[in-house]
Amino acid sequence: MEIAAIQTRGLTRRFGELTAVDDVTFSVAQGQFFGFLGPNGAGKSTTIKMLTGLLEPSAGSIEILGQRFTAASLDVKRQIGVVPEGMALFGRLTAPEYLRFVGRMYGLDRQTTNQRTDELLDFMQLANETRKLVTDFSHGMQKKLALAAAVIHGPKVLFLDEPFEGVDAIAAGMLKAMLQGMINRGATIFLTTHVLEIVERLCSHVAIISQGRLVANGSIEELREGVASSLPGSEAGQRLTLEEIFLSIVGAGGQEPAQELSWLA
Amino acid sequence: MAGLAEPLDREPPLPSGPFSELARSQYKALASLRWSIFRHTLRTPRGALEAWTSVLAYVLYGCMGFGLAMAFGAGAYAMAANEKWSILPLLFWVVFIMWQVVPVTLASLQQQFDIAGLLRFPVGFGAFYLLHVIFGLVDVSTILGAFCCLGIWIGIMLVRPDMFAWVGLGLAVFAAFNILLVRAIAAWIDRWLAQRRTREIVGALFFLALMGLQLLNPAFRPQHSWRITPESRATSLRRLNTVNSIQRWLPPGLAAFEVQRSAGARPLPAIEAVSLLGVYVLAVGGVLSVRLRGEYRGENFGDAPSRKKVQPRARGWLIEGSGPLATVMEKELRVLLRAMPLIYGLAAPLLMVFVLSGLFLRHGAAPGHPMAMSLIISLGYAIVGFTQLFYNNLGPEGPGIQMLFLCPTPMRTVILGKNLFHAVLFFMDAVLVCVVTVLRVGWPVPAALAATAAWALFALPVHLAAGNLFSLNMPYRMNLGRMTRQRGSQASALLSMLVQIGVLGIGAGIFTLCSFFDRLWVATPVFLCLAGAATIAWMRVLDRIDEMASRRRESLIATLAKTE
Repeated sequence: MEIAAIQTRGLTRRFGELTAVDDVTFSVAQGQFFGFLGPNGAGKSTTIKMLTGLLEPSAGSIEILGQRFTAASLDVKRQIGVVPEGMALFGRLTAPEYLRFVGRMYGLDRQTTNQRTDELLDFMQLANETRKLVTDFSHGMQKKLALAAAVIHGPKVLFLDEPFEGVDAIAAGMLKAMLQGMINRGATIFLTTHVLEIVERLCSHVAIISQGRLVANGSIEELREGVASSLPGSEAGQRLTLEEIFLSIVGAGGQEPAQELSWLA
Repeated sequence: MAGLAEPLDREPPLPSGPFSELARSQYKALASLRWSIFRHTLRTPRGALEAWTSVLAYVLYGCMGFGLAMAFGAGAYAMAANEKWSILPLLFWVVFIMWQVVPVTLASLQQQFDIAGLLRFPVGFGAFYLLHVIFGLVDVSTILGAFCCLGIWIGIMLVRPDMFAWVGLGLAVFAAFNILLVRAIAAWIDRWLAQRRTREIVGALFFLALMGLQLLNPAFRPQHSWRITPESRATSLRRLNTVNSIQRWLPPGLAAFEVQRSAGARPLPAIEAVSLLGVYVLAVGGVLSVRLRGEYRGENFGDAPSRKKVQPRARGWLIEGSGPLATVMEKELRVLLRAMPLIYGLAAPLLMVFVLSGLFLRHGAAPGHPMAMSLIISLGYAIVGFTQLFYNNLGPEGPGIQMLFLCPTPMRTVILGKNLFHAVLFFMDAVLVCVVTVLRVGWPVPAALAATAAWALFALPVHLAAGNLFSLNMPYRMNLGRMTRQRGSQASALLSMLVQIGVLGIGAGIFTLCSFFDRLWVATPVFLCLAGAATIAWMRVLDRIDEMASRRRESLIATLAKTE
């Protein structure tokens, strides 16, 4: 049996009386492009923080590439790359300095770090900005730099929290091609985003979390069939988009539609 | 679609003056916001600690202000009682210098509200300006300065109650000048630090000033005894007259002149002086206005993306070694070189050592034989510059703290790298302090020199160990692109100050005791024993860093990575 790239069992995180992530169990096979979806406040970022060691679970376990993962699992950390919510950049460094710092902190030798830094800056179209401090970068440029830092050590598992937010269409296309290339070479990617078109185009498997609980998990085709079978006869034959699947599963959370704000122009 | 073609109902424009109805409601909303923020900080133990230490800090500032008021009041009283009005400008100049120097020195210790965030609301420029000035009123410098002015006023009043209005008017205009000047300086420094080119120019000027300081040292070092001769008195008087004729046209001199003239019942020159002081107030208000108008218009100093293809450049300097320790030290050095607040923090005490070391000259003694404790006190004071580096060593990371937790390098290694870098900086600083002090007042006896070196070996690990604990438990995010408007931590500042006073107190106590029994050489082995114990304590703290960092990581990330 092949070892899963990511395996969680009963993953739970409580903040005081609030259970942000509640008994979440799922598995991501190696080489999978896995989309992790959910409405705002559903627990996506909390889950990804636990999976990357930034947050301690209240209960449950995490295995990455068959090894139990905690914040102290340095060998596992060497095999994963992360673009976290806050991008984890050092504002007072330049882009090459930052990439060299990250490469060396991941244990790459100097020559490899320098070579990969140059290649990544070229690839991310940041080679013209080598003197500018990261703090002076636009949001999109910071995202590209964060992504470059996440892959500089050639991770086997990549965690991306909203990687395309603020990135222009040209760069986004380039990044998607790069991520698809990683998948083709056997890497695993765990992606959270609100842009469902990207998930539909890139991901083979999807999990949906709502109010801290995992409410769907499977390939997009499986979810589509599951949702279609629950629809009335006249709609069952339609090919549903991921957005329709998502809305059907998550719904409006049982809330009434918002009142019309009559004072708005 | 008929509605689209209809003209929009335009509401009459709202009056936007600083005292308009809209502005007044905004002030109320802002006061309510500040109150809500204060109440919410009490929800967490850390917030409550911060709130209480803030209260304590303001009580301390109040006590300091009261002490200064007493001192300045006594000085003013003595001058007024003895009719020594000619030396009154001295008081005003001391107040002026303190008012302008204290805020930058204490910038990291004060929690300051950045009103630039209000620009998304329809705040008029007048209200924006007024708020900028009002928030400056709770600065330490303004509190202390106001107390000093009050002291001078009361001191003169006790002797000359008839001068009530004249002295009050002069001091009020003088205070307004200082309040506006300190805000203008802060606003312009922040502006210059916002762009790479101006940042580099300011940095270069700053380093040139520091170098100039070293050159000034020999000039100020006394080459002969301080015995006053008729010739030296005449020369000094000539110089004093020249200085006096220049300072008389500057704001502190004008304020003093106004009081002097009113004391002599000469209202016209007094009115002239206070009017000229008023012109200074308007000028400095205008300078501040130019800067604030830029901020108000939403200026952005971010460099535009470069469209030109640049040639690959040489990689520049690197610290040898690929290991994480060398990597962390290299990163720390690069960040420090671009962090004006940290550089200033390190350099400002050096300036004060230069100024204050003159106190260590023993009157009547031959030159070159300063007080035995001159070095240890100078060094103890210079350590104040390391407060932020030692006691908030994760603060400059900002969102980068996440990277330190994500990468497969133990936090112990990261902190060790930081500690080693700071230790190197400390020893460089210590050498500079010794050079400044020795050039200024001469060499102390060898036993005092050895004891000071041994004390430094004791002080460093104590500060590193305590600093690591503070950095993990009471971190605060630093904005390295600004000198002012930092979000400091009163709790961290006060507690770290207590540790510093404790370490210096132990040093001074042992030193004094050994000197008293004329056995100064004993101090060295005592300090070395203490240094051994402190080093063991530091290593034990280091061994617990990973565990503590793991326990505190959520709080650290929440504090340092937040983008408010």
